[in-house]
Amino acid sequence: MKRILSSVTDGKGFDIGLVVLPLGFLFVMSGLPLVYNVVMSFQEVDMFSLGSFARPFVGFRNYIDLFSQPETRPILFNTALFVVASIGGQFAIGFGLALFFWTNFPGASWLRGLFLVSWVMPGLVVGAIWNWILSGDFGVLNFLLRETGVIDGNIFWRSDPNYSLWAVIIANIWLGTSFNMILLSVGLSGISKDLYEAAELDGANALQRFWTITLPMMRSTIGAIIALGLIFTLQQFDLFAAITSGGPNNTSNVTQYWAWDLSFRQYDFAKGATISVIMIVFVMFASVVYVRSTRHEVRG
Amino acid sequence: MSEQFRNRLMLVVALVLAAIYLFPLYWMYITALKTGSAMFATPPKFLPSEPQWGIYADVWQSRNMGRYLWNSLVIAFGAVALISVLGVGCAYVLARYRNIWVDVGLFLILMLQVLPASLMITPIFVGFSQFGLLDTPRFAVILAIAAKSMPFFVVLVRATFMSVPMELEEAALVDGNSRIGAFFNIVLPLARNGILVSAILIFMQAFGEFVYSKSMIQDIELQPASVGLNSFMGPNTNEWNNIMAYATIYVTPILAVFILLQRRIVSGLTSGALK
Repeated sequence: MKRILSSVTDGKGFDIGLVVLPLGFLFVMSGLPLVYNVVMSFQEVDMFSLGSFARPFVGFRNYIDLFSQPETRPILFNTALFVVASIGGQFAIGFGLALFFWTNFPGASWLRGLFLVSWVMPGLVVGAIWNWILSGDFGVLNFLLRETGVIDGNIFWRSDPNYSLWAVIIANIWLGTSFNMILLSVGLSGISKDLYEAAELDGANALQRFWTITLPMMRSTIGAIIALGLIFTLQQFDLFAAITSGGPNNTSNVTQYWAWDLSFRQYDFAKGATISVIMIVFVMFASVVYVRSTRHEVRG
Repeated sequence: MSEQFRNRLMLVVALVLAAIYLFPLYWMYITALKTGSAMFATPPKFLPSEPQWGIYADVWQSRNMGRYLWNSLVIAFGAVALISVLGVGCAYVLARYRNIWVDVGLFLILMLQVLPASLMITPIFVGFSQFGLLDTPRFAVILAIAAKSMPFFVVLVRATFMSVPMELEEAALVDGNSRIGAFFNIVLPLARNGILVSAILIFMQAFGEFVYSKSMIQDIELQPASVGLNSFMGPNTNEWNNIMAYATIYVTPILAVFILLQRRIVSGLTSGALK
């Protein structure tokens, strides 16, 4: 008894206790739901069987039903478009800003940090603000586009099926750009200045220096940021809830919103779980890429 | 071109870029102050001619915002407390050792960090309802947020512990401290700032949390401010000045804390997310 006690205060027991408790908590609160999700996707779950553990197994019927629904394919396509466009926009603008602030002038780091307010705001508030900016008749974005001659008539961002998904994408690009910029800045500051000086002596112009030094040196950072972007865009839910609610007619719906909508609006928990399983597999694949690309630093 | 001129020019360009990027925030503050008709004027006014300062008090009362914000605070504090108690020790051990088990633990934690809340809510909701946890919905939400955010916290705090030199701890052990004594007297005080910044970051996230609260808290008396804002925004709403006033009251404290601690938050974030 005394040995156990002194091990807890002094030896390995102390460390093991510190790790086992939180990991146990995570296992119960994240691991078990994950398994339960898979189980539910093979069951028939409705409002009546919600409270009981014994539910009829239906094999792959939920999966078959899901893929025979007409809206599944467009929603999967929307998800892919949302992810690609959001990451592309966030990364391109973020990289541009990071390169600009890299030129290092007084006040640069403070101003750069200020951009991050978009990232710390509650997603629902960001959604509410963009909802108002993107409004069709009185939205300020339409006004600015009209005044600068980009468009002739108002775009009804939220209710026009051609634009509804882009309404959410625009808001999401705004939300995530600053985070991309900050991480890219960290990567940029890790490149040695000597390399640039040497290249400049050899007569390389700015574009060549960017192409042959900056991009190759940043490869692991860029890989990690793209993977993180994939994870974050697949987590984005609040903007959909605040701007379009997946409408009109599912044109702005994506899987992560649809899964919730099926469970909590249509009370089809089995199908909600089925989509979740499919998407979580995707996300985990992305996270393996992320973990691999940061692995040497994680072990560091 | 002199050095000074270049610096000034860059600063001006940077300020313009920041102004463009932060315009949505400005638009929120301005819209809140506009009258009903000024809001829908064409062309839109970029400065309100007769600011309606009374709107904050009106919205605060009519939406019963005190209750919403109190619930947000309860949920965010609960989640941060739970995460800190469980996560600090975990981060410490993961920072101190380097072997295969630590790698496995880190890998599991990073994997759990990526699970999207809106996809995990279905099994969590069904499971919680079976164990009766939905009878205490705020507590249920705290548990769910803690599970969601703890991996992120552990990753950030681990980076802090890695910067505390191991020699200090070893010296304390030689001086006759126990492991617990060395942990609480030497390591923890040195890592305090990093832990605090990470906790604040988690607090901000939990303060704006939406999907778990929306799904699990049915009783309006217990709902947080994010759910209150969502119920405010109907499909055909035209009370945009009220909504923006609500949003202003909700986010201004968060923005204030962020701007005050900006440097620390940014450095804490970058040290954890990529390293």
